[in-house]
Amino acid sequence: MSSAEARAVPRDVRVGTEIEPLELTVDPEKMKVMAALLADPNPIHFDPRSLAALGMQERTVNQGPLNMGYLQTMLARWAGGRDRLLSFQVRFRGNVLAGDRVRAQGVVTAITDTERGRVATCDISLRVLGGAEVLTGTADVIIEEH
Amino acid sequence: MSEPDGYAHLIGREFPGGEYTVAPWRAWLTADTLLDDPYDEVPHPVLAWMAGVAGWGMTWDEFFGWFDATADDGPMFGEHRTTMYRPLRMGATYRVSGRVVSAERKVGRRAGTMDIVGYELDLHLGEDHVARCFNSIVFPRRPA
Repeated sequence: MSSAEARAVPRDVRVGTEIEPLELTVDPEKMKVMAALLADPNPIHFDPRSLAALGMQERTVNQGPLNMGYLQTMLARWAGGRDRLLSFQVRFRGNVLAGDRVRAQGVVTAITDTERGRVATCDISLRVLGGAEVLTGTADVIIEEH
Repeated sequence: MSEPDGYAHLIGREFPGGEYTVAPWRAWLTADTLLDDPYDEVPHPVLAWMAGVAGWGMTWDEFFGWFDATADDGPMFGEHRTTMYRPLRMGATYRVSGRVVSAERKVGRRAGTMDIVGYELDLHLGEDHVARCFNSIVFPRRPA
């Protein structure tokens, strides 16, 4: 399925509209693949023994790009395609560990007419269920193209 | 050992730069790691940042070395911004350039001394500016 085929443009978007949230469980096997894709040698992402040596829990630590990618996925699905993300800004506030269940969520805070169409500005966050908010930020997405 | 007065002198230093191809296999695996649709024709936007750091012409260890740090010092992501001027295209080869844009030393009561370094990465396709990513990294400094 492509972004174009999947394009389900959000309707009746207004300030205060909540973005369809995204929940998933963090899989340590995906961290290993991402470590290879990033050529990231930091063993905290794939080697539980290295965590024990550092005095940390023996659950590997999810990569920052994966955490922010979950938020981008949520935004793209809601807006009707990956090509609708215009800007994205987050602050990293905590770690996500293997096996954590996380929830990406957001709310529309402003709507603007621009050259590229109607754009929704959103507050976004990623939270570990039963735990802390680990990413917070804002994003702009096209909700209606000219 | 870190510079006693911080790293403001490195602001503006350019990365060697290079290229990055959003190969379909990379886009597939990236989407899969995110539990997203690997068959989407539009590459996942997180690939903008991945392209930047894969095509900036250096390793993480070399970058950390500019700031007299290593991965063992526990550098952490601080903030991230991506601006997409155009969507990414499957199979396209992007020219990557980038530079250090900020370097600030802070002293926290609990965290101690740290250097917060910001850098930005640009992706170009032909004459088109496709994306800019900003990232900050926090380098904790042990007490002298």
